[in-house]
Amino acid sequence: MSPPPQIEFRGIAKRFPGVQALDGVSFSVAPGSCHALIGENGAGKSTLGKILAGILSADAGTLLLEGRPITPATPLEARALGIAMVHQELAFCPNLSVAENLCLGDLPTRRGGWVDRAALHRRARALLAEIGADLDPARLIGSLSTAQEQLVQIAAAIGTGARVIVMDEPSSSLSAGETRELFRLVRSLTARGITLVYVSHRLEELFALCDTLTVLRDGRHVWTGPIRQTTPGEVVTRMIGRELRVETPTHLTQTLGAEVLRVEDLSSPGRFSGVELSLRAGEVVGLAGLVGAGRSETLQAIFGLDPRAEGRVFVRGQPLRLGSVDAALAAGLGLLPEDRKRQGLVLGLTCRENVSLAALPALSRFGWVRRAAERTQARHFSERLRVKAPNIESLVAGLSGGNQQKIALAKWLARSCDILLIDEPTRGVDVGAKAEIYPLLDELAREGKAILVVSSELPELLGLCRRILVMRAGRLVGDVPRADATEASLMRLMAGVAADCAA
Amino acid sequence: MSLSLRGLLRFQESGLLVVILVLGAFLTAFSGTVRAPLFQQGPDGTRERVFITDANGERTPAFVERNKFLNAQNLAQLAKDTSFIAIMAVGMAFVIIAGGIDLSVGSIYALASVAGALVLNHFGPGGPAGDIGLAGSLAGAAVCLGTALVCGLTNGGLIVALRVHPFIVTLGTMAVFRGVAFVATQGQSVGGFPQSFRDLIRIEVGQGLSVMPLLVMIAVTVVGWVVLSRLAAGRRVYAIGGNELASRFSGIRIERVKLGVYLMSALAAGIAALLSLGYYGGATSGDGQGYELSVIAAAVVGGASLSGGRGSALGVVLGALIIQMINSGIVILGIDQNYSQIIIGSVVIAAVVLDNVNSWLARRRLQKASEG
Repeated sequence: MSPPPQIEFRGIAKRFPGVQALDGVSFSVAPGSCHALIGENGAGKSTLGKILAGILSADAGTLLLEGRPITPATPLEARALGIAMVHQELAFCPNLSVAENLCLGDLPTRRGGWVDRAALHRRARALLAEIGADLDPARLIGSLSTAQEQLVQIAAAIGTGARVIVMDEPSSSLSAGETRELFRLVRSLTARGITLVYVSHRLEELFALCDTLTVLRDGRHVWTGPIRQTTPGEVVTRMIGRELRVETPTHLTQTLGAEVLRVEDLSSPGRFSGVELSLRAGEVVGLAGLVGAGRSETLQAIFGLDPRAEGRVFVRGQPLRLGSVDAALAAGLGLLPEDRKRQGLVLGLTCRENVSLAALPALSRFGWVRRAAERTQARHFSERLRVKAPNIESLVAGLSGGNQQKIALAKWLARSCDILLIDEPTRGVDVGAKAEIYPLLDELAREGKAILVVSSELPELLGLCRRILVMRAGRLVGDVPRADATEASLMRLMAGVAADCAA
Repeated sequence: MSLSLRGLLRFQESGLLVVILVLGAFLTAFSGTVRAPLFQQGPDGTRERVFITDANGERTPAFVERNKFLNAQNLAQLAKDTSFIAIMAVGMAFVIIAGGIDLSVGSIYALASVAGALVLNHFGPGGPAGDIGLAGSLAGAAVCLGTALVCGLTNGGLIVALRVHPFIVTLGTMAVFRGVAFVATQGQSVGGFPQSFRDLIRIEVGQGLSVMPLLVMIAVTVVGWVVLSRLAAGRRVYAIGGNELASRFSGIRIERVKLGVYLMSALAAGIAALLSLGYYGGATSGDGQGYELSVIAAAVVGGASLSGGRGSALGVVLGALIIQMINSGIVILGIDQNYSQIIIGSVVIAAVVLDNVNSWLARRRLQKASEG
């Protein structure tokens, strides 16, 4: 009889408001293996990693560690079971030193509560040496690079006796040299018998490092098997193939108007560089890319929110002053941001007040808000966008994600923006509201509005757009017309997999 | 009928009114009575004592038992005391709703008082320029309000330009403004104002009710209410307090709004200072010490949220009334004055706790509603 798997997932399910993140996922991870977890943005791979590490808890299903069911409710409980996670979010106190962070749960003290600094540094140095990391334990965490902070996280995990380490996109913000270092460390960890669950969407990396691979799609388990038995092309095919939920939009048949937005050589240090694009009245253009490719950053720079942006942006042939939201607004641009609760809406105000937020100058006379006009406008747009709210005086905080998104969109329609930059139109929006938002965008395009839409959901872009631009690592790497665009072709561009691999 | 009832229930300040009524009833019930001589209107229009002639023909002066709290004199005193704090609290409401804080209002009050006093003294009966009538009073008022505005501009400018937390900036200017007032007066009290100026502000009606502070308070409240709830400028104050990032994404000029709210707060302190000049007839650099605490307490008790985005002009005025009623209650009930700080401080914390509980309940209701 073979030994039980290190980790086994049995029918794991997790629901977030409006979206089923995981739906009955079952597979197992062999001891001492480096197990890759891959899928598109939003496929559920990070959620699964977080459930294993006790950051989230599953709604249904069983988690088994060496054959015994476990229910880690907190990261601390997972730690006690020997499961740790290395992730991008701040895991440490940036204002304390490496040594203090490493020993935070159990600071060596002398009598009277004095911190034993010598013992502290000795212990920290031993932990770092364990993984071959050459770091001064006295340095502040805040002064470290992402790669160095990862080393400290891994040292902390090993130090607490972790046998399973979940790594969530560990290479996403590393340089090439740092990535090589990471690979060396990963190999040395598996050589010591530590089991790694490696979450990534970089195919070449997984093929270089991992021995087993699991593909998730739309929260469902698609395939698990030895990595030697598959190819990057096959994996791409398995990752995609979501159902197309978008009806063919009607704006595609109309003739396009004049060019309204042209971006030339737009760059922002460390975010993206050399972005060129053009948008015509009535056109819907998609912007695809993996997380971190610089899509949202590009939209924000066009909208004047990035003071370090350089390059040229023309609106209807007129140069647009960069780094100024005022200038962008005056030129008729509107940005529907990705994080609508933080950037798009004032949750404590009513629907009416949010709709008129950007249109106050037009709605007021001598500084007085014309309340009748404001109410009429709010009513008009909430009817037009079919906002489901008790009435226009309801607080936005109480609306569902889809209805909040409609209010955020109404804000720009109330200002009669004719160039809309839309970042993740359906993030955190339930299926029903999605089906309402797509025709709405179609309708806006038919009215002659130019729409640039960023989305992590490829079917959404494939369904909505006339053209899809693809970004990878801060650069524009493709401009695919609708007829040639498939999930596979876009995914290959996004992940940087050569076309012949997919054969 | 049901519409007006709903309107009344939605009236956010109704809770504060209930608190005020309960507090008033409590003070009336427990304050006890005081014997006060009885007056009546004489045939020639003057006030004269009332005497009672008993069976033996002896005339004894008549007294009435009056409630210590619920009597005209005390209420007039309460109204005047409330006015000063309430005016400044309306200004503070702008700052707090926008998500800021202004610790320097007490010092702005002192500096504006002193600056105005120096000018009024110059044009006073004993001053070098002599009493030149209305022009002198106007000059004093202009300097008083102008000084306050300069203080507000300093606060707002530093906060916007240096991007320093308003708590730090106004903590610094709190000391600076008072220091300037001290240097300007060498710590001496400044008085000797034109009589016409003092008479204007000390107009009394009935039994010693000074109407001027009261009228100004009402005017400031109405203006504050109109700006906050009816003008586009006020909407922007709520927006940046509710979500500064989203406001920026919506094209609101954050810097301009922030500068504006600190100007409003300073102007309100200046108006209160001007009233005090006429009312007390003098000013020193030590005036208004600790006012910032009363003013912030009034705003918080009146429902302004220190995390921004919530509050109203009427609410903070009612908050000021509650704070002053408690102060006055401490005197009337004969509680040791030294306890007043403890009581006021506890009330402020209790108000914030209640507010948190309230918004927690509201959040839960919203959550239930959105799930349902």
